[in-house]
Amino acid sequence: MSAVELVRLALSRLRRGRVRAALTMLGVIIGVASVVGLVSVGRGTTARITQQLSSLGTNLLTINPARGSANTLTLDDAAAIAGLSGLAAVAPEIQTQRTVATSTTNTTTTSVVGTSADYATVRAFEVWQGTFLTPFAVDQGLRQVVLGATVATALGLGADAIGGQVNISGLPFQVIGILQPKGGAGSNDPDNQVLVPLGVVRKYYVGGTGVQSIGISVANATGMQAARDSISELLRVRHGLAAGATDDFSIFDQTQLLQAASSISGTLTLLLGGIASIALIVGGIGIMNIMLVSVRERTREIGIRKALGARGRDILSQFLIEALTLSLIGGLIGVLAGIVVSAIIGRIAGWGFIFDPATIAVATVFSLAVGIVFGVWPARQAARLDPVNALRYE
Amino acid sequence: MSLLRLDQIGRTYDMGHVQVEALHGVSMTVERGEMVAILGPSGSGKTTMMSIIGCLDRPTSGRYELDGTDVGSLNDAALARIRSRTIGFVFQSYNLLPGTSAMDNVATPLLYQGVSRRERQARAAAALEQLGLGHRLRHEPSELSGGEQQRVALARALVTKPALVLADEPTGNLALHQGQEVLALFQDLHAAGHTILLITHNPEVAAIAQRQVHLLDGAVVDAGIAA
Ligand SMILES: Nc1ncnc2c1ncn2[C@@H]1O[C@H](COP(=O)(O)OP(=O)(O)O)[C@@H](O)[C@H]1O
Ligand SMILES: [Mg+2]
Repeated sequence: MSAVELVRLALSRLRRGRVRAALTMLGVIIGVASVVGLVSVGRGTTARITQQLSSLGTNLLTINPARGSANTLTLDDAAAIAGLSGLAAVAPEIQTQRTVATSTTNTTTTSVVGTSADYATVRAFEVWQGTFLTPFAVDQGLRQVVLGATVATALGLGADAIGGQVNISGLPFQVIGILQPKGGAGSNDPDNQVLVPLGVVRKYYVGGTGVQSIGISVANATGMQAARDSISELLRVRHGLAAGATDDFSIFDQTQLLQAASSISGTLTLLLGGIASIALIVGGIGIMNIMLVSVRERTREIGIRKALGARGRDILSQFLIEALTLSLIGGLIGVLAGIVVSAIIGRIAGWGFIFDPATIAVATVFSLAVGIVFGVWPARQAARLDPVNALRYE
Repeated sequence: MSLLRLDQIGRTYDMGHVQVEALHGVSMTVERGEMVAILGPSGSGKTTMMSIIGCLDRPTSGRYELDGTDVGSLNDAALARIRSRTIGFVFQSYNLLPGTSAMDNVATPLLYQGVSRRERQARAAAALEQLGLGHRLRHEPSELSGGEQQRVALARALVTKPALVLADEPTGNLALHQGQEVLALFQDLHAAGHTILLITHNPEVAAIAQRQVHLLDGAVVDAGIAA
């Protein structure tokens, strides 16, 4: 018997028992949908981390005061670090929450970061309109401001705002640039800030000599560890730390952290997919159960078919193709359901729709495999039935 | 050469604690074109004998030759091939495939011969028309009377043009007039040259055959006179 004949036979059989077929498929549908859904959620997370990785500055090191020791970093520390070799750019940062307002009534509260002209290089920001802070403006402490994309949007400012004025806590600043958005959400939005010369923040908003952090772009990726070591040594000497004392600062390599997160997320994806495939196996057991019941119910039919000339092989293929049809149709519906679910989740979580043909191919092949694995045994039972006993079966 | 030759056939069912000897020492021959009735009371071993002749079952002793072939030496696939090519079955309880149209029922033996769908349907329709069921092609068994169901079963047995038709109590479930119609069909088939084994407990039914083989307690008590 050809495969086409067998599929036709299986389909006509499934048509006659639609409800049972649908319920049997449900297990596979849920299994496949969870595999497809969870794997694409996992991939979405990984993709998001990768995107954050690329929007970080290249070879970025961040120096912060150690926990519990405020204000240990100074502008002079930053200047001294800038004197070290192997570093491409150094940008000290002081940050303060302030209200920014336009001449019309638009206002927003955002973080005002006082920094140097190197900031754009260190944090990998591109200017969308206008220019970034110049070394001259930073030296002179000019009241100029560069707006992050989120702030510009919140204030309703576009390209024609360049050269215009905004007030930060009541003090007027000249808008000289607007940054390209990097993307991100909530408290973690790198576009929700404005940048001004460091001296201005020091003069008007935050007193003292401390800086909150120093961002450093190391010249070569291979020089990261060496840079960490020399910065650490320099700061320990400058801060007068004894040989046994702990650092009063910390040097932080975000790239490394995100890479670790990315690999964790990849592992989680595998794990979730693995758990979901247990659902698929349960679905397969459902198919096996129904096929066994079906063989029993159709014992007489099997006897008749054998009397009409069916070989064991023909009966085996008939039942196997029936199981395969169930699992494959279930698998395809499951793939569709999985795609819909992951599209919805992707939309809500903000990483968009991730269509992955590989996952779908794997899920389809897997559901076929489930049909074979769990269909073979019932089909063999059917094929082995003795025709005389099968015909006597009531 | 005889179409079939049974030589000292025995069949014992092993029920674990008891052995049921359904047939013992059964010998007979049937020539091509003969219609032979196998007559015996219930439990005498008629169905067991039909199963062996129809290659659904194997004897536990003796030798069975069909068309010159020693059936005992064949494997299961070869037996299936004989059932497919050489034998047509008609059962007491019709044994039509449920939920399947008359046409598809009749076409099923051709499916196992590897005949194309188009040809299967044409031949099935022709076989049904020949038995006066041209207007019932799309009906399922549950929509047919007993007499009609048995005629569908007969069409199914004949569609492969088998060398041997085996009918086990073909009128056993039918009302008298329907039974007579079916018997008339068997007589027509015989007249047309088919070899037919008609199994029955009813001497009146057996009377339509030229030869009656009497079976009692699993043994042939009278092999009849060869026509
Ligand atoms: N599959 C079987 N297993 C055990 N005993 C059987 C089986 N088939 C038939 N028998 C026994 O063999 C004997 C003959 O049965 P059967 O061939 O059906 O007779 P008949 O068709 O003449 O009524 C009976 O005693 C019956 O109980
Ligand atoms: Mg019987």
